[in-house]
Amino acid sequence: MNQPNHDLIASDIDAYLNQHENKSLLRFITCGSVDDGKSTLIGRLLYESKVLFEDQLDAVASDSKKWGTQGKEMDFALLVDGLAAEREQGITIDVAYRFFSTENRKFIVADTPGHEQYTRNMVTGASTCDAAVILCDARQGVLTQTRRHSYLLSLLGIRNVILAVNKMDLMNYDESVYDDIVDTYQAFAKDIGLENVTAIPMSALRGDNILQRSPKMPWYHGPTLLSYLETAEVNDEHRRNAPFRLPVQWVNRPNLDFRGFAGSIASGSVKPGDTIRVQPSGKTSSVARIVTQDGDLAEAVAGQSVTITLADEIDVSRGDIISTTENPASTADQFETTIVWMHEEPLHSGRPYWLKIGTKTVSATVTQIKHEVNVNTLEQTAAKQLELNAIGICNISTDQPIAFDAFEDNQETGSFILIDRVANHTVGAGMLHFALRRSENIHMQATDVNKDRRSELKGQKPAVVWFTGLSGAGKSTVANIVEKKLAAAGHHTYLLDGDNVRHGLNKDLGFTDSDRVENIRRIGEVAGLMVDAGMIVLTAFISPFRSERALARSIVGEREFIEVYVETPLAIAEERDPKGLYKKARRGELQNFTGIDSPYEAPESAEILVDTGTLSAEQAAERVIAELRKRGLLEP
Amino acid sequence: MSNTTSPIKVLNERRLDAVRRRLDGESLADVSSAVGLSVPTVVAAMKAYDLGGWDGVAVKPRGRPAATKALTPEKLDELKSTLIQTALLGDGELPQHALWTAARVHEWLNEQGVAVSTATASRHSKSWGLAPSSPASGYKPAPGTESHRFTTEARRLKRRLVWLSTHPIAAGDQTHTLLCAHTARGLCLWVLVNRVEQNTFIEFLSAVTEHVGTALAPVTRLNQGIEKTWIQQWQQQTGNSALLLPAAMESDNSNSSSTITARSTMTALNQTPDKASDLLLAPEQLTHLQRLEAESIHIMREVVAEAENPVMLYSIGKDSAVMLHLAVKAFYPAPPPFPLLHVDTTWKFQEMYKFRDSIAKDLGFELLVHRNEEGIKQGVSPFTHGSELHTDILKTQALKQALDKHGFDVAFGGARRDEEKSRAKERVFSFRTSAHRWEPKSQRPELWSLYNAKKRKDESIRVFPLSNWTELDIWQYIHQQSIPIVPLYFSGERPVVERDGQIIMVDDDRMPLLEGETPEMKRVRFRTLGCYPLTGAVESNATTLTDIIQEMLLATTSERQGRLIDHDTSASMEKKKQEGYF
Repeated sequence: MNQPNHDLIASDIDAYLNQHENKSLLRFITCGSVDDGKSTLIGRLLYESKVLFEDQLDAVASDSKKWGTQGKEMDFALLVDGLAAEREQGITIDVAYRFFSTENRKFIVADTPGHEQYTRNMVTGASTCDAAVILCDARQGVLTQTRRHSYLLSLLGIRNVILAVNKMDLMNYDESVYDDIVDTYQAFAKDIGLENVTAIPMSALRGDNILQRSPKMPWYHGPTLLSYLETAEVNDEHRRNAPFRLPVQWVNRPNLDFRGFAGSIASGSVKPGDTIRVQPSGKTSSVARIVTQDGDLAEAVAGQSVTITLADEIDVSRGDIISTTENPASTADQFETTIVWMHEEPLHSGRPYWLKIGTKTVSATVTQIKHEVNVNTLEQTAAKQLELNAIGICNISTDQPIAFDAFEDNQETGSFILIDRVANHTVGAGMLHFALRRSENIHMQATDVNKDRRSELKGQKPAVVWFTGLSGAGKSTVANIVEKKLAAAGHHTYLLDGDNVRHGLNKDLGFTDSDRVENIRRIGEVAGLMVDAGMIVLTAFISPFRSERALARSIVGEREFIEVYVETPLAIAEERDPKGLYKKARRGELQNFTGIDSPYEAPESAEILVDTGTLSAEQAAERVIAELRKRGLLEP
Repeated sequence: MSNTTSPIKVLNERRLDAVRRRLDGESLADVSSAVGLSVPTVVAAMKAYDLGGWDGVAVKPRGRPAATKALTPEKLDELKSTLIQTALLGDGELPQHALWTAARVHEWLNEQGVAVSTATASRHSKSWGLAPSSPASGYKPAPGTESHRFTTEARRLKRRLVWLSTHPIAAGDQTHTLLCAHTARGLCLWVLVNRVEQNTFIEFLSAVTEHVGTALAPVTRLNQGIEKTWIQQWQQQTGNSALLLPAAMESDNSNSSSTITARSTMTALNQTPDKASDLLLAPEQLTHLQRLEAESIHIMREVVAEAENPVMLYSIGKDSAVMLHLAVKAFYPAPPPFPLLHVDTTWKFQEMYKFRDSIAKDLGFELLVHRNEEGIKQGVSPFTHGSELHTDILKTQALKQALDKHGFDVAFGGARRDEEKSRAKERVFSFRTSAHRWEPKSQRPELWSLYNAKKRKDESIRVFPLSNWTELDIWQYIHQQSIPIVPLYFSGERPVVERDGQIIMVDDDRMPLLEGETPEMKRVRFRTLGCYPLTGAVESNATTLTDIIQEMLLATTSERQGRLIDHDTSASMEKKKQEGYF
């Protein structure tokens, strides 16, 4: 394949460049079970398209001796197993990206691991792909992993799927073996809604039906792998036919005369003069110019990064979506979604996360995990939390309306990631299905007697004093003394603690992480209502997770939320053990006990810190009162 | 294709047949299958015909006649200046009979007693700047655009498309202008003048018309000293139309006030100028370079929108050059909203320093330079401390110092995934701990085009906007966009010594010579640039971008082989990265 190319390079480099500057680009992913030969296939593609240099081949040849699994032959897999740790273990841990090109196309290959524990890596690799190659060992047929990968591809909306029936050389290139596998697979693919699957029999090791049609399988009349990949439709072209969307990335304002909105066109096309709607605000205008450094454009299409200016001065900022007025994006704040969980720390409903969709980042909580999907059997099971690599259908609610499209209609404006608010990890990937029209019809009733009026009557400033700390730290004791002092001074107070909450409002909740999250969410809501009633609320709960305390803070409001960290070394708390719980936990009779087998995340910036290891309960209460005075919540 | 085994006579008959068929208007593919030659060979035969007529088509038996020896550089320089004197038109002299072609240069060389092949003659022409590459190369108008309509119409009317361009030619302390017309089939006609004027220009066009024997359909870009009014004048005289394209780049010498400056829109002058605001339509399918460009720009804008204090690391190499070019595009018309940081080991090539300072000024970037003064004071050098320690102290440690000193939270780097195995697995947004360590096992998943730029106060992010570019993409883009690069990438006479199988340039007197080493002048160039004692050169005659690309494509060793620091072990880069090396 490369020989004519070499001629052209040598004889007419300008003609060669001309040809190669106008190639298109296809991204694809390879997936399949552990030994299906993914790395071998990619190594083969790189080798055949002559992108390997002698020094690289030398390195592989020497590595083959050390780690190779192909005896004397060159182990192509070693070309692509990048990290030292991976080579030693002979597996692919992370997504690796490889590049090669033919005369018509440049290819970017995402090579992803096969094991179930790397589902997140596969989803990561597939999310940017135009096509997918699922490898299947002809000796093994369709395996659980094949099914799982196919399901993930259908979930991510990959439109070009190739079932590569590999290692045909080991099955004597037998047509009936191939037919059986394809029949089984097609029936399954139909079930999960995977359309447009092309099956190709091949041997990556021997090069059959990769580039050249294999003379050993004259019964096969379809395309070879590369000829399929060279003609598959790329997503940009597909997205060009969808309605126009431009998520605004950055407002370009070099001087007072220019105000441009920069972003990558997610779908559709745009011309100067087109009328547009800015969402979620809903304001309309028309496109004045499409500005690029190479000159203004008469038209811009999906996949291009542009800067547009509008005919009218309207408010547009990062995170907004500029849509066509004919078919604008929807806006909502509650959705049904599919979430793929990607972190060791599970997803808890009720916990707030950052949600990034397009260029917009908002705060969001999963309000309900409707069910989890077993990726191997596709069964739906009930779930209270999603573990690493779990996939769930979840309802989600955002703290402000966002512009979106259903993922099925538009992958760019219907996909999102979830980010942990404390550690900042990317913890989940999601696809929006539809808006839940719920809160839309529940309007806040404006009442004449409001919080200000209620607190005025009580002659106090309402607040939540939130005590947190280990069991036995003295939260309830200190809170109790503080309440007595406040009541003595004529304040209206209420102390929420385990006794009055766990026995009633939250008696359906246990002590798993998920239940703890929900427990604190409800307490936060109740405390919020009491503050609205004008009360000074004291809460005494372990509340071990930072994110839930942050949630409670966001429900109540920053100004009225005072976090008190009752600090005590674990040893002292355990020695006190007023309810004998530590002893029980140590004996293994009590599961999920904070400090023993469940973590406590200490506050990083509590308003008040009292150390009951050195202070008496009375002194600690005095310190809290003094601090409330200092903050102007109590009269001096 | 197995034509190399055919007897030369059969081959030549096929070539002649191919040219006849092409002239009859058959498509390249048809001709190729009819005569049994590859498409490039048909193209080459056609080119030979264009250059030398029917006699030029046949290939000569391989092997060079004994009489021709390689010419010395001195002799070549002498020939160049004689040729320039011969070709240069005096002021007011008209170019009717003074058109030059590659064939004429060949003929002239033979007249000078220099018996060389056509190929060698054209190589010399190229190295003297007298055979510039065609501006048509890489240009393929998309259907629906004004240029597409123009080229289609020209073909229908059987007019010859010619691309007009000008190029400065330095001779001694003077600079002349080469005015060129390239045909679509690769013929280059030129004249050499002191400066182009309306008269010369119009006469040039009629001489070209006479030479090709058909009416012309000229195409030109607007930033090269060819004025719009001249073309209008020519159109009025001939009744033919021309196509003006927007300038590819701001020209350095476009100080003439009447020149239509860069970034004007594409205009076909056969339309009334008033309604000629025919802008660029979108291409039918984005090319790989367009997609890569859009992705890089998206990444840069995302960083600027989310980071508090971003910086762009500038290494002065070709990847950095592309990154700078993209940064200017991403924020146009605003200037790029971040400074450049060069971590200077003090051991870079002198030409790199010169280039760095001028490019930062030209593009309007603020340039910060950081050196590990402590390390420099201790006299750390690649000669005394070895490459590993040198890199660690003057590069890795210095980089950390600079990021900490200025409090940069996000740093752009020009690394590509195709460079090296551990980079192939690195994310576009790559997190570093407070100690600048890379943790390959806990990389954040990166989905769709949704980049998570959230981090703690003490953490930082390295962002690689060129992750998905390959070395070839970089060169093609530099070629397509005319991006300036350090001259060290081009072949030149440089003082070098050979050491441990590498050619090392003696760039200054800090380099201790070993016993028996004397620097000698060689024609070399660099495929990658770094500290001069650690950067191996390759012997090369590549003096233009296309030469470089050609050489790279025909090369058999990878780019980083010239980089001594990667030679240690195959896991060494992974280790360096974990320690904070970019």
